[in-house]
Amino acid sequence: MEDIIVRYVTRIILPFVQLYGLYVVLHGHLSPGGGFSGGAIIGASMILYALAFNLSAGSKKLSHDVSSALESGGALLFAGMGIFAILLGTNFLGNKVAGIPIGTPGNLFSSGAIMIITFGVGVKVASTMITLFYSLIEGEDHSHDHD
Amino acid sequence: MTMIDILLRLHQNSYYFFAIILFIIGFHTMLSHNNLIKKVIGMNIMDTSIFLFFVAIGYVNGGRAPILEPGVPYTAYVNPLPSALILTGIVVAVSVTAYALSLIVKLYKHYGTIDAEEIMRIRGGDIQ
Amino acid sequence: MSIVNHFPVLAVVVLLLFAYLMPLLMRWRKEWCVPATLGAIGFSLIASLYMMWQVMTTGPFMYQMGSWAPPWGIEFSIDYLAVFATMTITIVGLIVIYYGTQDLLHELKEQVMGWYYTLYLLLMASMIGMVLTNDLFNMFVFVEICAIASCGIISIKESRECIEAAFKYLVLSAVGSGCLLLAIAMIYMVTGHLNFTYVAQALPQVMDLYPLNILVSLALFLVGLGVKAALFPLHVWLPDAHSSAPSPSSAVLSGLVIKVYAIAMIKLLYKVYPPELLGMAPIMNMILWMATLAIIIGSMFAIVQDDIKKMLAYSSIAQIGYVFLGVGLMSESALQGGILHIFNHAIMKSMLFLSAGAIIYATGTRKLSDLKGIGITLPVPTIAFSLGAFAMVGIPITNGFISKWYLALGSLDVGRPFFAAVILVSSLLNGIYYLPIVVNAFFGEPEGAVAEPRPLPRQMVVSLILLGSGVILFGVFPSLILGVVSKAAQSLLGLL
Repeated sequence: MEDIIVRYVTRIILPFVQLYGLYVVLHGHLSPGGGFSGGAIIGASMILYALAFNLSAGSKKLSHDVSSALESGGALLFAGMGIFAILLGTNFLGNKVAGIPIGTPGNLFSSGAIMIITFGVGVKVASTMITLFYSLIEGEDHSHDHD
Repeated sequence: MTMIDILLRLHQNSYYFFAIILFIIGFHTMLSHNNLIKKVIGMNIMDTSIFLFFVAIGYVNGGRAPILEPGVPYTAYVNPLPSALILTGIVVAVSVTAYALSLIVKLYKHYGTIDAEEIMRIRGGDIQ
Repeated sequence: MSIVNHFPVLAVVVLLLFAYLMPLLMRWRKEWCVPATLGAIGFSLIASLYMMWQVMTTGPFMYQMGSWAPPWGIEFSIDYLAVFATMTITIVGLIVIYYGTQDLLHELKEQVMGWYYTLYLLLMASMIGMVLTNDLFNMFVFVEICAIASCGIISIKESRECIEAAFKYLVLSAVGSGCLLLAIAMIYMVTGHLNFTYVAQALPQVMDLYPLNILVSLALFLVGLGVKAALFPLHVWLPDAHSSAPSPSSAVLSGLVIKVYAIAMIKLLYKVYPPELLGMAPIMNMILWMATLAIIIGSMFAIVQDDIKKMLAYSSIAQIGYVFLGVGLMSESALQGGILHIFNHAIMKSMLFLSAGAIIYATGTRKLSDLKGIGITLPVPTIAFSLGAFAMVGIPITNGFISKWYLALGSLDVGRPFFAAVILVSSLLNGIYYLPIVVNAFFGEPEGAVAEPRPLPRQMVVSLILLGSGVILFGVFPSLILGVVSKAAQSLLGLL
């Protein structure tokens, strides 16, 4: 797509969209939203970038390999926090009972494991959105090669 | 029971009624259309109707979001559990949709059409 | 607290963890994929055997996620049925993927092998989670993971039949999932709980107030899980899906996946819904008639097939009927027979699919009529196939005989000899389509590709021998498994 308006608008709003997505992810334990909603916003911003400029520019910023590695990483962070609680001597996904510092309710750094898990979910969702988009687009390209 | 009564009850439980109507629209789209993309859209409409129904049963009249804030007096709040569950449901629906669409892309590559009947016809020719 | 206390959740989480590690391994340490998969499932097997020992010695127990007490937290219920099912899933799953490490090499493209292991581990994790969980919504999530993963292991072989079968399966199981979610909503709106135990306590109290809601939820559960378990009128997706998939996928789909939905149904019918409800609507009779039709019609369709895997797929429709027959009869022996058949059929159907896969691997033919004399050139898969066929027919000293015996006893116990006759007739029908293959295989003249097959890799032969000895072992010494099965049946019927 070679549309100058789309490119300019994208360039202007992209940082705000990503910042907002990050905000929603990090405040998941304080306000409505959280890993999925915020991750979807970040993922959508990357998709917007790839659509406005082109696919190769998008994959220069975040390649398919990196996005699928991040996808695994987000899920592993979630499961890892669960197992971390087991190592601390409580049940799977234990939080306060496992002795993870909770902090003052209402502060950004509070709620112990929940915040880290939300961050993991955010990474996972954002990278999944991008990976899905790349996979569908690349599948399409492949079919054109064959024709 | 008079007509008024029935209408009154329908009004009180309108979310029930509309969720079922949406469900049937989705189900019908899914089963009766030959276009595979339309089938997937029907599937999404069906899922959405269930999500609306689930969220509606957790709603409390005049309730607000269940977030405790210092200084704000305690009021009635909306049951957060259905919303949380439905968020999971939406995630599932997204992944099923993405998967179904990628299968349609592959099907189009193999058959050159996304019409279910056409595909059946091509396959029928295959076997003989 | 030592790690063994956390085996219920680790049995699921370790599989999930390795499933997500697999894409990373695939990129940087390709040769570790297979050992990691086998190791993860092996760990779950050890965990499930330990849980079984624990349950048999000290009784059922609960595991609470994050140490949150039940009404708030999700819990796993480790009871007799759950440990039995976990053990079945992990044993058969491990043997099938051990076989698959060789067979998949010729069925899949090399770059998707790692993804296959990811999907397989996700499938195992979701099945174990589904049988262990004690929470309705958690069950729904596992059902969804299971549905996507099982479509995935079909469509990963990118032939047009596989893609089409996977799409059909996906759309129909999406209908099923929609029904399940609606049913969960109906239950939640009248009880306010999602935990099985709490729902079971609340349902009798609200039954008089909202009988329709509860009946509708039961019907939706029956349809939702029935579609996924391929109960007779809802089975249309199964023959294509199970016959076109790669052989290890067919083995695990036919052997395990359709059974876990049956186990979920058993848990709902016996542990959640109050028995008085069953008096309000003839649910059990409906299940019985659907099961009977499944047994008869599934076998009849299997007779006319010439494709070996399609025949096995139709036979699965008949066999899932036996499980539901045991569920519907509501007597102790019948329920034992039904639950035992889950295990027995998992072993014999996966063995049949794997030996069919080995025959296809070695000769390249899927046609039954081409298999004359294969017993001479390919003894191990053919003997395994014959053993499986005997077990399907229900010949004594094979495990299939034991479960059919208990089902027949159960139907006589409740005074419905008709269903014993159904079992007898279906055994005859099974004989009609299985035995000629066996006779042909050993007494025919080998010709064409059958005369000079490719040699089979060691992994395939070992898996077939393991499963074959399982069929004989549990046929001669059924008491090995019957202990936990009868405890499960008794606890479900409230006799314990």
